[in-house]
Amino acid sequence: MAEIVRCINPTGISEPVDTYPLAPRLDTLDGKTIHFSITGEPDITIPLEKKLKKDYPNVNWTQKKTYAPSPIQLTEEEMKTTDAVILAVCW
Amino acid sequence: MPYIAKLEKAGIPTVIVDLEDQHQMVKQTALRYGVPEVRFLPASRTVHGELDVEAFTEPMMEMLTRPLIDKEKQSGIWEPSPSGRIIFEGTMEEAEEFFHQTEYIGHPVNAPIALYTDGLPVRIPTEERVAAMLKGTSHKPDELIIHQRDPMRGARRNPFQFQREGRPPRDVPPEVRMEGIRRSGKGDPVEFQPMGWTTTVEKVAACAVMAGCKPEHLPAVLAIAESGTFIGSTHTFGHWLCVSGPYAKEVGMSSGCGMLGPGNVANSTIGRAYEIMARNLGGAIPGVNRMTSIGSPFEGSRCCAENADGLPPGWEGLNEENGYGKDESIMMVIPHVNDGIRGVQFSPGGYRAFQKSGHGGMARKLGVKGIPGPHNWLEYLVDEFWAGREGAKTIIMVPEMAQHLYEYGFKSKDAVYEWLYEKSFMPLGKYRHFSWVDLGTNGWMGIEPRSGKHWKELPDDYMVPAAESPYAFCIIVGGGDEELSHQLSSPQHLGIDPIYSIDAWR
Repeated sequence: MAEIVRCINPTGISEPVDTYPLAPRLDTLDGKTIHFSITGEPDITIPLEKKLKKDYPNVNWTQKKTYAPSPIQLTEEEMKTTDAVILAVCW
Repeated sequence: MPYIAKLEKAGIPTVIVDLEDQHQMVKQTALRYGVPEVRFLPASRTVHGELDVEAFTEPMMEMLTRPLIDKEKQSGIWEPSPSGRIIFEGTMEEAEEFFHQTEYIGHPVNAPIALYTDGLPVRIPTEERVAAMLKGTSHKPDELIIHQRDPMRGARRNPFQFQREGRPPRDVPPEVRMEGIRRSGKGDPVEFQPMGWTTTVEKVAACAVMAGCKPEHLPAVLAIAESGTFIGSTHTFGHWLCVSGPYAKEVGMSSGCGMLGPGNVANSTIGRAYEIMARNLGGAIPGVNRMTSIGSPFEGSRCCAENADGLPPGWEGLNEENGYGKDESIMMVIPHVNDGIRGVQFSPGGYRAFQKSGHGGMARKLGVKGIPGPHNWLEYLVDEFWAGREGAKTIIMVPEMAQHLYEYGFKSKDAVYEWLYEKSFMPLGKYRHFSWVDLGTNGWMGIEPRSGKHWKELPDDYMVPAAESPYAFCIIVGGGDEELSHQLSSPQHLGIDPIYSIDAWR
């Protein structure tokens, strides 16, 4: 009978993750403050910025722009007055 | 993603625009940060921006208003798959079948990918083999892999110094500004990339067995493990590794002819362990979270040793350059990012003719025809250094060529680095033609640090260094007698800490 071998697990340790619900969605866009977090890809984000302002004039648009993949974050104070965030193009 | 998770948890709805082939990576990262149902949609890689936003803007805005479905309202705890100390029990034949399993990865791979290996056969990590491997270190099997030192120690080309000093963006490597690669301090668990998993000494030993290592190689493999096996995401990364210090000779590493090629057991297996660990400890999967697009044969990772005996007088080894003693051993991670590798530009005998009697093309280019050396052979190559992208370089050169530089007048590596840095200055008009500088200058919205002026105010003839600093360059001496050099990216491009103590893991 062939010998039985026991093999050590070489895979990394993945810890359990607390998962959270998404934030409730907005009931309307009108009158809301929506932040556009721009991370590079200007060929997309420049026309997107223009279109958002044109198509959604009743939104109070704010934005922060960087060319790098990491977004410039809202401050804690800014978060208090921001109703939603769009991040493009990255994650 | 940590930022998006923070916003969602704070009650601010978000939507992300990504690229379609990166959906799996977004989902993985979202789960890692506790918001697995985050909403996202793709932009196109090919459609003109104006047309593209016409198509996706309305659905994007709808993601901010469409009420949540039950799945999106759920909270809880995501439990990883059960993963005990023993992953498989059976005959050796069955174990071989188990460890060589593959899984089919869809677009953009559309092919099976190995579950536990680099795609090549591995040595099966039986309990007995792993126990034997563990004799190569004094560290306990169940000990967590933690950082053995703070990232600042000695590594003057360590990019993390810029984070602490708050240097201007131009001087911070673009990749450092990406989320998720900031380095923890001494005593913190090492998070393997890209999944952020942790690990134990025993698991690293299992990976070392799989790579074909011997017990005496384990301290080097543990030092690599401390790096977290960074693999990048969208770059054609590969990693070479170089050992500096007495350890290299102790375990029979090659610093001679073909040191980065096949043949030497220690070089080959220690190098391979990087990739085995990236797959098993980091969860790196091509096309899922490792988007190297074309990939690279160097992603299999190679290790070499520095030839300390081949260093000219006064030239420090990599260990001394990075704050360690001559008698201390370190592992250096040498990334080559996306400006590729250059080298071997000399015809057969061409370099020797240039140095011995001032003949051949090299002599013609440098205007030293008929004049015996020593000549500065870097002068022959330096024009090409920034043909691909900006940034300092790592140069691997054989001992004879290092000796020629010494005889020419470079009495230290620093003298070479400083010369190269001066040579890197170029007119801004030319510097603007690089691609990565768009990130380095934050889309030219930042301030040029030397003048203190806005980038857009500077004239085209303003001189800018293509290299981050003199000390972002790196010289590695090793290899055989044939006159060759390789030039590749500086570790600074990658934004990782490149130096890890081997002695700390003995």
